[in-house]
Amino acid sequence: MAKTHISFNLNGRPVDVLAEPRELLIHVLREQLAHTGPHIGCETSHCGACTVDLNGRSVKSCTVLAVQAQGGNVLTVEGLATNGTLHPLQEEFMQQHGLQCGFCTPGMLVRAYRFLQENPNPSEEEIRTGMSGNICRCTGYQNIVKAVQHAAKRLQAAGGK
Amino acid sequence: MATTAERVEREAKLEGVGCARKRKEDPRFIQGKGNYVDDLKLPGTVFGVVVRSPYAHARIKSINKDKALKLPGVLAVLTANDLKPLKLHWMPTLAGDVQAVLADEKVCFQYQEVAMVIAENRYIAADGADLVEVEYEELPAVVDPHKALEPNAPVIRDDIKDKKEAGQGPRRHHNHIFTWEVGDKAGTDKVFQSAEVTVKQAMVNPRVHPCPLETCGCVASFDKVRGELTVYMTSQAPHVIRTVVSLLSGLPESKIRVVSPDIGGGFGNKVGVYPGYVCAIVASIVLGRPVKWIETRIENLATTAFARDYHLVGELAADKNGRIKALRVNVIADHGAFNSHAQPTKWPAGLFSICTGSYDIPVAHVKVDGVYTNKAPGGVAYRCSFRVTEAVHLIERMIDVLAQKLNVDKAEIRMRNFIKREQFPYTSALGWQYDSGDYHTALKKVLDAVNYPALRKEQEEKRKRGELMGIGLCTFTEIVGAGPTKACDILGIGMFDSAEIRVHPTGSVIARMGTITQGQGHATTYAQIIASELGLPSENIQIEEGDTSTAPYGLGTYGSRSTPVGGAATAMAARKIRDKARKIAAHLLEVPEGDLEWDIDRFKVKGVPGQEKTMKEIAWAAYNNVPEGMEMGLEAVDYYDPPNFTYPFGAYLAVVDIDRYTGETKVRRFYALDDCGTRINPMIIEGQIHGGLTEAFAVAMGQKLEFDEGGNLLSNSLMDYFVPTAAETPKWELDHTVTKSPHHPIGAKGVAESPHVGGIPCLNNAVVDAFAHLGVTDMEMPHTAYSVWKTIHKLGLDKR
Amino acid sequence: MEVKLEKSFPIAAPAAAAWRLLSDIKSMAECMPGAQITEQVDATHYNGQVNVKLGPASAAFKGTLELQSVDAAKREIHILGKGTDAKGGSAASMDLRAAIRDAGDGRCELAGTSTVTVSGKLASFAGRMMAQVSDQILQQFGANFAQRAQALADGAGAAPAAGMAAPPRELNAFALLWGVIVAFIKGLFGRKNPTAR
Repeated sequence: MAKTHISFNLNGRPVDVLAEPRELLIHVLREQLAHTGPHIGCETSHCGACTVDLNGRSVKSCTVLAVQAQGGNVLTVEGLATNGTLHPLQEEFMQQHGLQCGFCTPGMLVRAYRFLQENPNPSEEEIRTGMSGNICRCTGYQNIVKAVQHAAKRLQAAGGK
Repeated sequence: MATTAERVEREAKLEGVGCARKRKEDPRFIQGKGNYVDDLKLPGTVFGVVVRSPYAHARIKSINKDKALKLPGVLAVLTANDLKPLKLHWMPTLAGDVQAVLADEKVCFQYQEVAMVIAENRYIAADGADLVEVEYEELPAVVDPHKALEPNAPVIRDDIKDKKEAGQGPRRHHNHIFTWEVGDKAGTDKVFQSAEVTVKQAMVNPRVHPCPLETCGCVASFDKVRGELTVYMTSQAPHVIRTVVSLLSGLPESKIRVVSPDIGGGFGNKVGVYPGYVCAIVASIVLGRPVKWIETRIENLATTAFARDYHLVGELAADKNGRIKALRVNVIADHGAFNSHAQPTKWPAGLFSICTGSYDIPVAHVKVDGVYTNKAPGGVAYRCSFRVTEAVHLIERMIDVLAQKLNVDKAEIRMRNFIKREQFPYTSALGWQYDSGDYHTALKKVLDAVNYPALRKEQEEKRKRGELMGIGLCTFTEIVGAGPTKACDILGIGMFDSAEIRVHPTGSVIARMGTITQGQGHATTYAQIIASELGLPSENIQIEEGDTSTAPYGLGTYGSRSTPVGGAATAMAARKIRDKARKIAAHLLEVPEGDLEWDIDRFKVKGVPGQEKTMKEIAWAAYNNVPEGMEMGLEAVDYYDPPNFTYPFGAYLAVVDIDRYTGETKVRRFYALDDCGTRINPMIIEGQIHGGLTEAFAVAMGQKLEFDEGGNLLSNSLMDYFVPTAAETPKWELDHTVTKSPHHPIGAKGVAESPHVGGIPCLNNAVVDAFAHLGVTDMEMPHTAYSVWKTIHKLGLDKR
Repeated sequence: MEVKLEKSFPIAAPAAAAWRLLSDIKSMAECMPGAQITEQVDATHYNGQVNVKLGPASAAFKGTLELQSVDAAKREIHILGKGTDAKGGSAASMDLRAAIRDAGDGRCELAGTSTVTVSGKLASFAGRMMAQVSDQILQQFGANFAQRAQALADGAGAAPAAGMAAPPRELNAFALLWGVIVAFIKGLFGRKNPTAR
């Protein structure tokens, strides 16, 4: 199958790949670009393990074609820390024990990152709804909710960055 | 003299047992640097996709590979005929049966493995799989285990049709696998004949799937030059898998390396040996290239380790005060098309005979019949120590049924029947020796915490107004930590576990265990055990597991056995090191060993302040100044054969509100008190309980592998198989008591499965309790809105 | 997966004309959306195919149609159809009993009972929608049948009436889905809703 040339920004850096029109973004990220943070959990957009940020929106990269990222900005969990400093969400997931097996964590973090930009000061209910596109089988969500709450406070204190 | 404050500080620095230290494994996960099987990219890796049967029961008339093989990029197509010369088209199961690796002439469940296409990448492999043409002749399927036992039911297993035995005792029907009985039948029957009160209740634990977020998969890599096979796989039991692979392939174990890297959740789904693994291994040996096979979610739900499918009838005999005199249980166990349950070999019904629960029941009898159906094989999964969920479900439902019959409060009837604290160690009517427990205290604490009388009062008022509110109780006893090797083995290998600890000269430590974490935080908690035992800070203790080339042989992580068995091995190995350290300290301090006492992180000369050697100093000395005749170095290995199982317990209470018109059920409150003995890391314990309760919520309220009468699996993706999100999941309130295990080196019992095992019956009891006043004694799980509404509708409660 | 359906369709044509269509297996079968008779094997056996696309599953069923019985006096017919998807992914069978009942006044009614059994991929993936979709398929069949029977009565012969759409080559998933959704919504509001009062 003929391949298409695709260029986009991945975690702030330009990347170029050749992919078949049918290739999924998750496969290109994981297999061509060695970004194995996002995972494949269900192939049907239900679990959110593959969540990445595409042009300022959370997307399930297992049901996004790689060509749809053409010219876009993609953020994965690998791009959350800046200059070696963890993002407050990463810190709080660790502090609040918001992860166990770690498989859902990259998707959770990237979703929470976008969610807190959409709603910087969410209630518990809003967090539970806002994060409901991402499934975790280990934690029962209680500590994930707590981590997002704590991170929201820290981000607010730091001026909503 | 060391002050108390100084000692407290010293102890805190260790971050040992009891410390809620943050997890060591987190930094890599939160940065996307976990290393799961599908993340692995060995040079030259090719990809395998399995061709599966669309039918639950069919004869294979022909398989045509030609079109698939013509597709550029397809390297091979494996079928049963290709595996036959290697004698690998069938494989033995842990339960004494055989299972088809690739279907041999016939398929017995939907999505059964028929062929594997190996291609340069996953896209081509999937295309290739689509081009494999298989001609089937459909046969009548049977999915109901009761119907499977009817005289003229379809023969599911032609291969053993005439065999009188399938590895677990005599069979009485072509779809019958085994009958397993325990207890005193005559004695039990006698009590029932003369009992003041008896109750009987049928119930079902529907077939469910643990559905870990990461599916199963492997990368098999055979080095033709060295003749060595490395398999990276999602396995909860890498050492056992290596032994099985060795037995199957004829390669010596020394030429096989099995590595379990990071595992994205297991919950029992990743214990077994699956055809996909075997095909990938064969393909790698044939092609000389690494072969990756990763299940899709559909394949995961449809073919690898389900749980439950237990169809039970329970009976209790009691006096009129509700004091239980006898328990009788009959079970039909649906094992699917092959009996490939992953459990201790001698226990065809697992540890189901823990079903006398937390109650002092004088006599009991249990009979379990295993049955073949046209459904996927490979059960006993899902956060449960081998059928303990079914056992707890049974007894906790039965005691509620008895309470309803006698009109005794459901908490009160439990109090009347509990085994008393002073009765431990307690031998149950079915032969288990419970190590320790304090059930009255636990339940009382819960009832006080939720103000139980007020809840019952509220319920009574609501009932008068026609509102539906249920209060569910579950006072469970688990049996975990399989297990004593005299009782438990897998393929003849005793179910011990192991730890190997090496203290480096500077006092840092590397330790390796035979278990494997899947999110339980072993790297954190094992280090805490060692820190407390050796007085070296856990910060500098590195834990490694899952690589058969480096870790000592162990039976793996499932059935809550890591802490009871692996944790015990860890403590014992550490104690061996401490014994040697004591000798070195005596040598260094020039005193007899008997003059020394251990103090947190050092040996002190009794009564001589300042005369002491810290463990750090001793570690250094172990490599340059040891007593004459002693070997250098400071390390130890322990293979721990537990003297008994451990028996964690708990008291759970749930409050549900049910919409009378829609059947929608809201969990208003869930209060969970767990007693897992010594608590190694409270933060991790609470995390485990949150997770287990959420999985219990899933099972009780929504999960079921649904089949139509033709054996078609109707819930094969997350579209149709319920997995709760943050939005549905209730908030959990946790509590605990501590009753140490008397036989475990540090008194710990294991915890991760308790919330699942106890949570399901608790929620189930709560839902049924909402209808108890109307004479309802059972409702079939899962309690979806529609399912609950059916009960409501039948009772006419939805009329306005 | 088994779905049983009972349906009747009013036809604005005399019973004799409708019976002529019903007993002409080839024309009758083509009233079924996506279905086609490809060959008559003997007096009671036909080969044919049906194309279905449903959500994530698609199937091209090839199979046989067997005339079990024809009762011209009662105007009743019993047909057994069986087919498997060319790729081997699904199988389906249909047991159809249909009859033409005279309604007087130059009108009649087509009444039928059918049991559709589907196994394999189609059952597994689309099982949830089976009942509704089968219902829709029959609905379209009924409409096509009524139209043809009327055309037949009007003297256009067995060939499709001028201006009448040829039967679709593939069962149209979108149109079907639309039908299913509309039926579902109608059901929601049309039904006596216990919570709405």
